[in-house]
Amino acid sequence: MIFIYLLSGLFLGWSLGANDTGNIFGAAVETRMLKFKTAALIASIFIFLGAVLEGSGPSGTLGRLGSVDALGGAFTVALAAALTITAIVRTGIPVSTSQTIVGAIIGWNYFSGRLTDYRSLLTIVSSWVIAFVLSGIIAALLFYLIRPIINRGRIHLLEQDVYTRLGLIVIGAFGAFSLGANNIANVVGVFVPVTPFKDLNLGGFTLSAVQQLYILGAISIIVGIYTYSQKVMRTVGKDIFHLSPVTALIAVTAEAIVLFIFASRGLQNLLLSIGLPPLPLVPVSSTQVIVGAVVGIGLVKGGKNIRYNILGKVSLAWIAAPVIAFVFAFIALFIVQNVFEQTVFQQTVYTFNRITIQQIEKEGLDTSHLSSVNGHRFDREMEVYKELGGEKYFSRSEMLKIIRIAEVYPLQVNTKLLLDKGLANHFSQKQLEALIKLENREFKHKWQLEETLSQDPSWQKRKELGERDKLYNQNLEEQFNLLFRTFYFPPSR
Amino acid sequence: MALILKTTRFIETQIDAFLDILSDSSTTFELAIEDYLNNRIDQFENRLAQIRENEHRADDLRVSIERFLYERTLIPENRGDVLAILENTDEVIDNIKDSLVQFSIELPQIPNCLNDLWMQTTKSSSNAVEQLSFAVRSFFRDLAAVNNYIHKVYFFEREADHLGERLRREIFNMDIELSQKSQLRYFANHIEKISDYAQVVCDRLSIYVIKRQL
Repeated sequence: MIFIYLLSGLFLGWSLGANDTGNIFGAAVETRMLKFKTAALIASIFIFLGAVLEGSGPSGTLGRLGSVDALGGAFTVALAAALTITAIVRTGIPVSTSQTIVGAIIGWNYFSGRLTDYRSLLTIVSSWVIAFVLSGIIAALLFYLIRPIINRGRIHLLEQDVYTRLGLIVIGAFGAFSLGANNIANVVGVFVPVTPFKDLNLGGFTLSAVQQLYILGAISIIVGIYTYSQKVMRTVGKDIFHLSPVTALIAVTAEAIVLFIFASRGLQNLLLSIGLPPLPLVPVSSTQVIVGAVVGIGLVKGGKNIRYNILGKVSLAWIAAPVIAFVFAFIALFIVQNVFEQTVFQQTVYTFNRITIQQIEKEGLDTSHLSSVNGHRFDREMEVYKELGGEKYFSRSEMLKIIRIAEVYPLQVNTKLLLDKGLANHFSQKQLEALIKLENREFKHKWQLEETLSQDPSWQKRKELGERDKLYNQNLEEQFNLLFRTFYFPPSR
Repeated sequence: MALILKTTRFIETQIDAFLDILSDSSTTFELAIEDYLNNRIDQFENRLAQIRENEHRADDLRVSIERFLYERTLIPENRGDVLAILENTDEVIDNIKDSLVQFSIELPQIPNCLNDLWMQTTKSSSNAVEQLSFAVRSFFRDLAAVNNYIHKVYFFEREADHLGERLRREIFNMDIELSQKSQLRYFANHIEKISDYAQVVCDRLSIYVIKRQL
C-alpha cells in the first residue's frame, strides 16, 4: 500500500524534474551551448547525488510548517502539489515547486483543523524573498566582475566559447547538485518517517532506508528531466529570458550559489564558526532564484532589456501556484477521505486536565484563562483555538505551545524501529544509549518523552546565547520530531 | 584543457591564416599597381598570379572554418556574425583580384602625370583593407581595440573617396579621348570601391562588437 502512496511523491518528483531543470540548463540548451542530451545527463547525475548526499537539510523547516501525520495525507498533499505544477507548466510558465508544496501543506492544515505556524511560514516566505534578492545581488556582482574580462580581456572568441561551455557544464552540475539537495525534501520529505525500506548493506557500504527513499525520489526527478523538461527549457531559455551564453553562465552561477546556501548544513556551520548569522535551510524556489538573477543582471545593464510583461506573468504564477495548490489539496483531501475512505490526518485529541495545565504553567504561561477548557477534550486544534478566544489572551506562538502540551500523542520507545528505518544515524551514540534506557516505555504526550529524555545531557536544550545554540536547539527539535513520528503508538496498534 | 582547446586552436590558426591572406592581398595590390604604373608588366602579372592563389586559399579556408564551426556547433551565439564577417572579408579579396584582372585584360593607358595621385588613392584603399584585417583580428582576440581599427578604416575610406574624386576630376580635365577618360574613370572607381567594401565589413563589425560586449 505504501508504494501506491509513494506514487504521488514520485509524481511530484517527476514534475520537479520537468520544471526545475529548465531553470538551470534552459539558457544553455536554448543558446545551443549544450545539447539537451548532455544537459539531461549532467542534471540527472548531479540532482541524484545532491538528493542522496545532502538532501536532509531543508526537510526540517518544511516539517515545522505542517507535520502531515498520515500517509494518506502525505499522498494527497504531494498529489495536489504535483497536479498544480503540471497544470501550470502546461501553460509554459515555470512554477515554484516549493511554493506549491507549501500551499498544499497549508491546505492540509486547514482541512485537518490544525493551526498554521505563522513563524515557520514567515521563515519560509521570507527566505523566498531573501533568495530572490540575494540571487539578484550575486548575479549583479558577478556581472561586474566578468564584464571587464569579456570586454577588455584578450581571450579569443573561440576560447571564450570553450570556457563558457565548460562553465555552463560545471556550474550546471553544481546547480543540479544544489537543486537535488535543496528540493528533494519537497518530493519525498513527507514520507521519511514512514519509509518502507530497510538498510541495505552493499559490502562495506550501507545505504540507509532514507537514502533509498531519496534515491527513488531522485529517479523520479530524472524521469521528469528526460520526458518533459525539454519543453520547459525552451520556454525558460527563449521566451522568458533570452540570455547570451555568458550572461546565462552568470545567472546560473548565482542560482547555484543561492540554492547551495539554502541547502548546505556544512555552509551553515561554517557561517556560524566565523560568527555570521546562518540562513535557514529552506527549500527555495529555483524559478524565483533564476528570475532574481536575470533581474539583477538586467538592472545592472540599465533595466532596458527586462521583459516586464513576461516577468509579470511569472510572478503571477508565484501567487497563483500556492493558492491553486491550497484549493487542490483541500478538495483532494476531501475526496480521498470521504470517497476512498483513507485516513488523511491522525485523529488527535487535546485534553486539558491537571497534568497538562500544570505543564502549561511550568512553561511560564498564564493559566488563569484556561478555566473554560479545564476538564474538556477537543478533537481539533481550531476548536481549542476558538474556545480560548482566539488570540485574545495568548499570542499565536503561545497558543501553539498550549496545543502542543494538550495534544494526546501516544508514544512507545522502540529503538529497533529507528535502526530498521535507517534513522539511527540521525542521533549520536549517547542519545541512542539514553533512548535504549527507556526502551518500551510509553508516554501519553510528546512533552513527556521530551522531559524524560532531557534528563540525559545529550538530549538537553541549550540556553540560546547565540546563533550556534539556536541552531543546536533547532536540530534537537528535528531529532525529537523524528522520534515522535517513529515512536507513534496508537492504542489500537 | 590542452586537449579540449586542440580543435579551437586549430580553427584559430585557420582564421589567422585567412586574415594574413587579407593583409597580404592589400600589400600585394599596392605593389601590383605600383608595378603597373611603372610599366613593370611581368612583375605585375606575377603579383596578380599571387593574388589569384591567395583568393583560392582564402576561399578554401573560409569554407573549412565554416564547416568546423557548424559541425562542432562552436560559438552558436556568434556563429552567424562570424560567418558574415568572413564572407564579407572574402569579398574584399575577390574585389582586389577582380580589379587587377581588369588591369591585366584592358591594360589601360594611364598618363604619367596621374601616377602620384593614382598611387595615393591605391595606398588609401590598401590601408583601409590593412586596418580591416586588424579590426577583424581584434574582434576575435581583443574586443576593446576593434573600434580604434574601425575608426582607421573609416578614415582611409574617406581619404580614398576624396583622392578618387580628385583623380576623376583630373582625368576629365585632361586633353585625351573621351573613351580613355571613361575607361580611366572606371579603373579609378574600382580602386576606390575596395575601401568601400572594407567599410561595409566594418559597419557590420561595429554592430557585432556591441552584440559581443557584456
